Amino acid sequence: MMKGRGRWVVTAFAAMGLLAIPAAAHHSFGAEYDANKPVTLSGTVTKIEWTNPHSYFYLDVKDDKGNVANWKFEGYGPGVLYRNGWKRGISMKPGDSITVTGWRARDGTNWAHARQVTLASGEKMLFGPPAGTGDGGAAPPVEVK
Amino acid sequence: MRRLMGFLTVAMAWAPSYLPAQTPARSNAEPSAKSAFPRAADGKPDLTGVWQGGSTARGSWEEANGGTGVGGTGKNPNAPAVLSASDRPATAEKAPYQAWAAQKVLESYKLRGIDDPSAQCLPPGLPRTSVLGLFPTQIVQTPQQIVFLYEYMHEFRVVPLNAKHRDDLAPTYMGDSVGHWEGDTLVVDVTGFNDKTWLVGTGTFHSEALHVTERYTRVDKDQINYDITLEDPNVLTKPWIIHTNLMLREGTRLEEYVCAENNLAPAFYERLQKNNVNFQRP
Repeated sequence: MMKGRGRWVVTAFAAMGLLAIPAAAHHSFGAEYDANKPVTLSGTVTKIEWTNPHSYFYLDVKDDKGNVANWKFEGYGPGVLYRNGWKRGISMKPGDSITVTGWRARDGTNWAHARQVTLASGEKMLFGPPAGTGDGGAAPPVEVK
Repeated sequence: MRRLMGFLTVAMAWAPSYLPAQTPARSNAEPSAKSAFPRAADGKPDLTGVWQGGSTARGSWEEANGGTGVGGTGKNPNAPAVLSASDRPATAEKAPYQAWAAQKVLESYKLRGIDDPSAQCLPPGLPRTSVLGLFPTQIVQTPQQIVFLYEYMHEFRVVPLNAKHRDDLAPTYMGDSVGHWEGDTLVVDVTGFNDKTWLVGTGTFHSEALHVTERYTRVDKDQINYDITLEDPNVLTKPWIIHTNLMLREGTRLEEYVCAENNLAPAFYERLQKNNVNFQRP
């Protein structure tokens, strides 16, 4: 199932406005994920973990040579997803074909932060927060004299 | 394969704390007529309800977060994110740390994934728990006590009214709260903290001398003005003042949040550190 990294279809999607990162507020996202490495992948969902504090889903993705690799995507916990309109076991299931946009992990392996998921139905839903928000990615709000 | 799977299981995890983002400044609406919000049988403003912190948007959770409002959790990818546990309210002034303490804050920032108490699923403390926007807060009011229920980390506070702090205080994560009414404002005095939590935002540590004063003023049906004063002479040069809001979210229920269920954050950060992956911002 996992035959190395291959050449994944990694596309920037600045045109979607997803790179409009607020300068004054960053997500601690920045520690784990690289906002300069946006990724859009299409594939087949193999597993979903609706867990706290964060949820995960796994996606089999084919590269242009037909090699398949399994990617892991992180997002909101189940309570937040529920309030976002996600229905566990209904909105997205193993076997579904989806497209996800997000940002890759800093170590460059096959995992990423999920932002927008385009479901098999065509509906677009948000699985995780945007990049570049929160103090976690910016200097703390202290006055250093 | 095994190596890869191990890798995947170690993977990411932001701090269980979701970071927030831009918070609109509080609206300058004057308090409405007294009839604009419900009152309890004793005449006090009734704060009972489910509320969202760090927001100025009115309406249901979906209405306030799905469109162009505070957004970020809804279906509009361009809406700003809501306040999470790693953010400070935009309306907060800079934290007035003493010089040595400011350095320590910056050090914690560099190791934020590891040092963050919430990354260990520990109670977030105050006001980090109470200014969140990503998770709702439920207030239950009676004439004798006011109860705060926080979805985030399953925390709660029971605030007796017109009571004194217990005289056998032992340091705790959420402190000891007592409250009283000053006109239409609920004032809550919190002390008895341990030094294991962050105030608001990454690395904002404090000592056991922390004293939190909260003022809750319901200005209309939808909005509570939430004003916080943080005092800690051991680490701050002056009181740190934060002005933020709680917005009513009718129809929202608190969901389960079991942080220890699948918390990958500490292992993830330690792995990055071990492998010399730079996750520190300059």
